[in-house]
Amino acid sequence: MSKEEILARMGKAIIEGNKDEAEALAKEALEKKMDLIEVIEKGYVPGIQKVGDLWERGEYFLPELITSAECMKSAMNILQPEMEKAQIQTQSKGKVVIGTVEGDIHDIGKNLVSSMLSANGFEVHDLGADVKLERFIEKAEEVDANFICLSALLTTTMLGQKRVVEIMKEKSLSDRIKILVGGAPVNQKWADNIGADGYGENAMVAVKVAQKIIEE
Amino acid sequence: MSSRVKRIENLKIEFDEQRILRLIGYKKKSHEIKEPIKKLITEEKKKLEYLLHPASIYTILDYDETNKHPVFKDAEKVALCLCTIGPELENEISQLMGKNEMVRALILDSLGSEAAEEVAIQSDRRLADIAKEMSLWPSKRYSPGYGKWDVKEQKYIFHVLPGKDIGVSLTESCMMLPRKSVSFRINFYKNKKLTTRKNNN
Repeated sequence: MSKEEILARMGKAIIEGNKDEAEALAKEALEKKMDLIEVIEKGYVPGIQKVGDLWERGEYFLPELITSAECMKSAMNILQPEMEKAQIQTQSKGKVVIGTVEGDIHDIGKNLVSSMLSANGFEVHDLGADVKLERFIEKAEEVDANFICLSALLTTTMLGQKRVVEIMKEKSLSDRIKILVGGAPVNQKWADNIGADGYGENAMVAVKVAQKIIEE
Repeated sequence: MSSRVKRIENLKIEFDEQRILRLIGYKKKSHEIKEPIKKLITEEKKKLEYLLHPASIYTILDYDETNKHPVFKDAEKVALCLCTIGPELENEISQLMGKNEMVRALILDSLGSEAAEEVAIQSDRRLADIAKEMSLWPSKRYSPGYGKWDVKEQKYIFHVLPGKDIGVSLTESCMMLPRKSVSFRINFYKNKKLTTRKNNN
């Protein structure tokens, strides 16, 4: 199989959500000592981009998006140790610190956003659920993050999102680190009211919003 | 359990397929669901037999016995109800997420949400029947966090109803554990005109 064929099959495996194939091709790339940057950027990334397009056209839905993101993650897990050994670094789209705010242990939505951001080339630092508000900011400063993504599923814990925005302003970090919010009771109006930089209605929208802010 | 607190028995959960698909992400009937996803849905549904443990308790108070929150105004009696599907399904979701089985976790989470809603619907119907037996008119059911009933009023519900009897607790931020639990009130009115419930005959 030629290099081009392998790269095309990598993309196809991601689009079809075929985890076994995505992993087998990653192993093949290592065996054949292929250029791993090329493998990611010309093989797997076009696949996940196509998945995003299919979602925008209403042909793919959340389960397909997640399946593809999982495939991407599996393939990356195989390539990553070799890349670290060879000190190869891919171009990250941006660094994200993500978590569910203090007092709230809902995590499935946050995990989906985390997965989708990661599959789309963002470096994700997932702090988990019930995260102290100050911890988001500490971690964002520590890793020099572009974004903090705050998930809240309760009307009581939504206030934590507001507080983080306030602290960021107090610390004059708002220009450097953007805040994205999400969660069942959250909407664009709430995001605007508290001065957040973006609102992700679902995992894919969160990715699109993050990409848009980075491009600006 | 206090004699004023009663349990709703024989809760049977039936699923509305279309609602589950909507929760998973397929918003329209016309959306094509791919075979691998269909297979996952079928497999996760099979687990429900041992993951669902529905339970529901309620009490009915005279208006004067309540904390007289404005949302109880004009009610002759107020029914407060707390129901759950138990913790097992959420434990399974956590395990799936731990294994990076995110699609399965999403499907099971959606099934759990639907199951909890179904337990609430059945509890609501039984309470509406009780209201009618008392020759009173039941309102729709309302949960804390909606309208003028702040989510902090969960504390009042848990003051009145022993959540621990069905394994439900409340966190400081007023979140119920297990998460797939529902609490609500139904006002019982003397005057039919006050009720918000449709088809109330």
